[in-house]
Amino acid sequence: MGIHSVGTSDVDVVRRVLGGDTAAYATLVARYRDRLARYAVHMLGNREDAEEALQDAFVRAYRSLERCDDPARFGAWLYGILVNRCRTTGARAARRGRVFVRDEAALNGVAHASVAEQTEGEDVVCWALARLTPEYREAFLLKHVEDLEYEEMARVTGAGVSALKMRVKRAREQLQMILREAERV
Amino acid sequence: MFEPDEELVGRVVRQLRRPVTVDANLDARVMEQIARLPARRAGGATRATWHWLTRPRTVRLSPLSALAIAAVFVAVVLSRPDRLSHPASTGAREFSFVVVAPRAATVSLVGDFNDWDAARTPMQRAGKQASVWTAVLPLTPGRYRYAFLVDGVSWLADPAAPAARDDEFGTPSSVVTVGGS
Repeated sequence: MGIHSVGTSDVDVVRRVLGGDTAAYATLVARYRDRLARYAVHMLGNREDAEEALQDAFVRAYRSLERCDDPARFGAWLYGILVNRCRTTGARAARRGRVFVRDEAALNGVAHASVAEQTEGEDVVCWALARLTPEYREAFLLKHVEDLEYEEMARVTGAGVSALKMRVKRAREQLQMILREAERV
Repeated sequence: MFEPDEELVGRVVRQLRRPVTVDANLDARVMEQIARLPARRAGGATRATWHWLTRPRTVRLSPLSALAIAAVFVAVVLSRPDRLSHPASTGAREFSFVVVAPRAATVSLVGDFNDWDAARTPMQRAGKQASVWTAVLPLTPGRYRYAFLVDGVSWLADPAAPAARDDEFGTPSSVVTVGGS
């Protein structure tokens, strides 16, 4: 395994992993885990799904490490992989949700859970965030929570800068509207 | 009353920026899964370099640089004109013959280049119902008389080419002159 010095650059670690030092990859996992986890949890609104997407993203990044053109930007490259994994996991979860809607008992359960969440007010922000479309939620989180520049967001998401600016603007407007409605209730 | 918009969004962002906790074993699970993968072959760095060398890139050129590259290309082509002719060994160039014959069932290209043999160069319709017929033929430098034979009986000169004045058979024909290199 070996001990990896704190502060070793991504470039060095990537080179070591590519050179066959698999254990060095643990440094990159530890370095990016928390930040990526925050994005995945907020994006998917479910800790289990987020962990699955995160683990999948780390493993996929390892398998495709040769395709990381600029190891100095490993973090941004990894972000792009996670964004895609979250899209896939989110779409699967949405399909699961649609299946549940056909089930009367499950439907009641979901309804109760939502009401409970709102009335208890444990996490109104996350609840409001979950009501945004995935595109708006993704853009809002990357811009305002993860602090990415629009150009970086464009590389990570594959969307154009203008489209991303529009999504962020609409996401802010919708969040304000949803939270105001929640405060009125 | 309600908060101003920016304050509301700021509150949301502050809350979302709080750290989240995930399963403490996540790192171990990732490394365990990676350990089960086939070992990364030695030379990974070499493959990464190869990938770096072969990956497509966007190249930005100033108009002046583009002009310079174009000038170099033209100079190379002019210095070796045979590189663009086909096939280079015989000096032959491909010519496309086109005629419009909407009611024809068959059209043949006949001329000096195929001994006026209607069977040697049948023309093809440009599409299933098209009235345009085409044939492509390699011709070496020289002067050729030619015509189109419609349905095996009607001779048709090429309306888009000069008419041949020395037609000894009394049928209309046209002339194409292929320049040498």
